[in-house]
Amino acid sequence: MSTLAHDMTADMYLKIFILLMILTVLTFLQPHIIPGTLSDTVMAQLFIAVIKATLIGSYYMHLKYEAPLFRYIVLMALVVLAIFFIITASDAIFRNESFDLFQ
Amino acid sequence: MTETTTPEVIYDKEGNAHEIVDFNDDYTGAKLGFWLFLFTELMLFGAMFLVFSFFFYRFSEDFVVASNNLNLTLGGINTIVLLISTYFMGISLLNIKQGNVEKSKKMIYITIALSIVFLVIKYFEWMAEIHHGIYPDSEALNVLSKGEILFFGLYFTMTGFHGIHIIVGIGVMIWAIKLINCKKISAKKYVVLENIALYWDIVHLVWVFLFPLFYMISFGGAA
Repeated sequence: MSTLAHDMTADMYLKIFILLMILTVLTFLQPHIIPGTLSDTVMAQLFIAVIKATLIGSYYMHLKYEAPLFRYIVLMALVVLAIFFIITASDAIFRNESFDLFQ
Repeated sequence: MTETTTPEVIYDKEGNAHEIVDFNDDYTGAKLGFWLFLFTELMLFGAMFLVFSFFFYRFSEDFVVASNNLNLTLGGINTIVLLISTYFMGISLLNIKQGNVEKSKKMIYITIALSIVFLVIKYFEWMAEIHHGIYPDSEALNVLSKGEILFFGLYFTMTGFHGIHIIVGIGVMIWAIKLINCKKISAKKYVVLENIALYWDIVHLVWVFLFPLFYMISFGGAA
């Protein structure tokens, strides 16, 4: 496998671990250092979670070093989930509103 | 039946001949198959997060009230335990690739130990809720508001599903140790351990989103 040439090293595992640990501490401290409304908290928390997920996916799950096919699989999963979320979000937000268009 | 010794040959786009040597050791295929399984895992948990988001949007205040009943300290400790365990799983894979069999096994044992710690903490967390009379369809729960009932229903379902994944993870890690012992996982053939490491990372990944959505929202607008 040509991809093995650029594989993870022990050094990289440790670096990513430290980064993830810092982000986890940030998750715990976020409401204390940047207090805000509920939606601010959720946004900040999810922002940190997405960064953590990207680090885990790219390095711990080796996606950075894999053939593009593997990245496409993950991308497909995210696209499918995004479609579900967008459609459901439109339902959640506009459920009890009436539109002149449909009257 | 007569055995033929004629080699099977396939041709690439340029017309070059390639002899088919062995299909039983398809490294990329094994990993591709496992990634397709992970795709279904993302759909499974994704759908549950979808339900969570929908009701969180509609019953935000109830969710924050209910979230305050969860034990943030225990949840936080579990977050760190799981993070450390994925590190050791990764190091185990690294060691098997380099041929350090014993060290690799030791790392898997540490991962298993940490998974058990996670489960024990989860057990105490669940028991605390259950002692308060809060479990699906309990009397104490059913008198609460709609949003709180939904929150706890989702809490038990999602952390329960996640817990089942942890138990399965422990099972496959024990299996990995057995395969290492009978040399079926080695420095040259490690795709099984690599897939187990991928599985363990997805279990961690789910928790990365579970923790903020269930525990950290308790700070809500109150902070």
